Amino acid sequence: MCAISHAGVNNPKKANIRVISLYPHPVIKMPIVCEQCKKPKCRDACPTDAIVKNDGVVTILEDRCISCHACVNACPIGAIFVHEDIEIPFKCDMCGGKPKCAASCPKKAILYVPEHTQGQAHRLGAALKYAHMQEVEYYEHGIKKKLRYAEIETGGTRGDSE
Amino acid sequence: MSPEGGYHKKILHVDLTECKTHVETVSDEFALKYIGGRGWGARLVWEHMKDDIDPLGPDNIIVIAPGPLSGLYLPAAGKTSFCSISPATGIYGDSNLGGMFGVELRMTGFDAAVITGKAPELSYLWIDDDDIQIKSAVKYRNMGSIETEHLLREDIGDETVKVATIGPAGEKLVKMACITADWGRNAGRTGMGAVLGSKNLKAIAIRGTKDLPVADLPRLTRISDKAYRKLRQHNLFEFWQRQGLMSVIDYANASGIIPTHNFMDAHFDKAEEINGDVMELNYKIGDAACYSCPMACSNVNLVKDGKYAGTVIEGPEYETAAMFGSNVGISDFDAILRANYLCDEYGIDTISAGSLISVMIEAYEKGLVSLEDVDGVALKWGDDDAIMDMIRKIAFREGVGDTLADGVFGVIKRWPQLAPLISHVKGLEQSAYDARIAITMALGYATSDIGAHHARAWPIAKELEMGSNWSLEEKADLVIYHQTVRPLFDMLGVCRLPWIELGFDENTYAEFYSAATGIEFTLEELLKRSDAVYNLTRAINIRLGLTRADDKPPERVFNDPIKTGPHAGKALSRDEFDKILDIYYQRRGWDNDGIPTNETLRENGLEDVIEYMEQKRAGK
Repeated sequence: MCAISHAGVNNPKKANIRVISLYPHPVIKMPIVCEQCKKPKCRDACPTDAIVKNDGVVTILEDRCISCHACVNACPIGAIFVHEDIEIPFKCDMCGGKPKCAASCPKKAILYVPEHTQGQAHRLGAALKYAHMQEVEYYEHGIKKKLRYAEIETGGTRGDSE
Repeated sequence: MSPEGGYHKKILHVDLTECKTHVETVSDEFALKYIGGRGWGARLVWEHMKDDIDPLGPDNIIVIAPGPLSGLYLPAAGKTSFCSISPATGIYGDSNLGGMFGVELRMTGFDAAVITGKAPELSYLWIDDDDIQIKSAVKYRNMGSIETEHLLREDIGDETVKVATIGPAGEKLVKMACITADWGRNAGRTGMGAVLGSKNLKAIAIRGTKDLPVADLPRLTRISDKAYRKLRQHNLFEFWQRQGLMSVIDYANASGIIPTHNFMDAHFDKAEEINGDVMELNYKIGDAACYSCPMACSNVNLVKDGKYAGTVIEGPEYETAAMFGSNVGISDFDAILRANYLCDEYGIDTISAGSLISVMIEAYEKGLVSLEDVDGVALKWGDDDAIMDMIRKIAFREGVGDTLADGVFGVIKRWPQLAPLISHVKGLEQSAYDARIAITMALGYATSDIGAHHARAWPIAKELEMGSNWSLEEKADLVIYHQTVRPLFDMLGVCRLPWIELGFDENTYAEFYSAATGIEFTLEELLKRSDAVYNLTRAINIRLGLTRADDKPPERVFNDPIKTGPHAGKALSRDEFDKILDIYYQRRGWDNDGIPTNETLRENGLEDVIEYMEQKRAGK
């Protein structure tokens, strides 16, 4: 779908996003796409200043690019792609602020979220792992339910005082 | 009419004996008439076959055919058919797999590949766009499918290459050997792995970069955007991602159709220990999906402790969990995962293996074979150690496994007394749905062109719903409809599950195909083409000696009533089956011996088939 909207053809090898899947050593599936770095290494590596950052989006300017592929090798996560049919390297342009991949991902494996919420998943996970969880059972409309809550600790630390 | 998309119109031919390749440009007429996938495969098999063909000889061809929709932007477009003359049954066989393999083949600019001959040493085929090489695979000899795939990628130096392999079973010409791609997706049925093995072809590795031709891409995108939205809104969508086909265990057990103890029973009292909930709660570590599929029905599972700890596998789905669960009396999900892993790694079909192993357990328990016959291991239901051992013995042709490796006919040849115990049609072991409560299912198995497989017809759910108030004519029509619509998905190169499981409108596929080719088609027109292919595979089978006597369901459905569960006491009547078979032939336009009439063949544009059928009718 990314390739259809950006390259105008049905060809996943022309998409601005790739999924790396490894198996069975180790078992992993991971989408790789430009993270629009604050200090882009691709921009630093470009000998013709063809890579610019505007409104948070890193863009390769076609008229300045000499297709030397320095950016492709400079990207720490490999999110700049090349294809023999296409003159210059290509990468994610955020679809003008409405990324189609995030909108269509059926597993929510790709999320488009404000920058300041990054790391939220880890924070949430850390909170849920909190050791001193308590449970109360109660009945609602005759159905037994459980409520979990974190007990307030007097010591203010996570360690067990005993 | 010339399609402006959907096809590259190119077939790659590989002759392994001569170590030569050539590219055939296919005509528009061929492309559209047989659509692709299994349709193209059946036609190519017909054109290359001889009446006395040896399925494991160098003359047999194997066609690798995704379809015109494979790789396009639409739900679940990743199916590839492997078509050949089956070493398990001796008649036409095909089997398909999902994943990414066929999409990659299409991206090399070929719509299909045809492999013939026999390589002088164990080899693999490397298709890198237009660059095609036959390379030595001697170092991968006896190596498991998953390990071979992993190492081949490393050796080629590209983790994104797509690979299909056979395991040691395929190399040893085991008649239930499968072809495995994308780490454990199998073209499992009809012994296609043994065909590759007979050609000394261990693997096929593919890397493609080309655009897939689409006549009207904006239209395809429009229809597909809508299709994806619709699927995601279905109330079972999320549940489907969570459990996939494993949810069928509960359905099949509650409906009394789950194979239990070699199909002696159709209800398993420990089904709750091997169902989708057990998998989801204790084993699942991830989802997996075929190309462009939002349903992601595949589950990656891991055994975390116990003697099978560390076993990781994409699977099982329903068939495997039933055939290596209830059917062999296993109620330990760890053991089912292990069996699935071993079958994938050794490269054997879980349905066929689960079936024949259960036959041996029953045979030993009933004293029909001796302790010596089963290598001194006292077989019993649910004995996972013995069952794992049996899987290995089949794959490596050791002891009793050597007989099982020769399939249904091999077992019957050695022990004729076991024939009534084996649930099969034409030499292909029955899938994991009991047929005793549904004459449509029995008819579907009996008349399936590849043997007792549910992929051609799965009318059992409808029959359960309908109860008894409908005529044999209506029942025969339902089976024919299934046998026409279901193979159409295999011809287009897509998966049928969005249609079956999430109520996706089958007319949409005519729209996809119209957008891809730039020619307007209705679903009826496509079904007509699928029907023609069914007549063609029938003709292949008639040429290979198939008669009316072969169109019979497994003996057990008549002889042994179901023991427990909601349908205890039920079995089918032989007379009624004979009646429905007559009706079926009539409605298919086949004569009383099951040979398509000249009129039927003409209607289906199969004029060149007529003379062969005339010969058979004359008894030659």
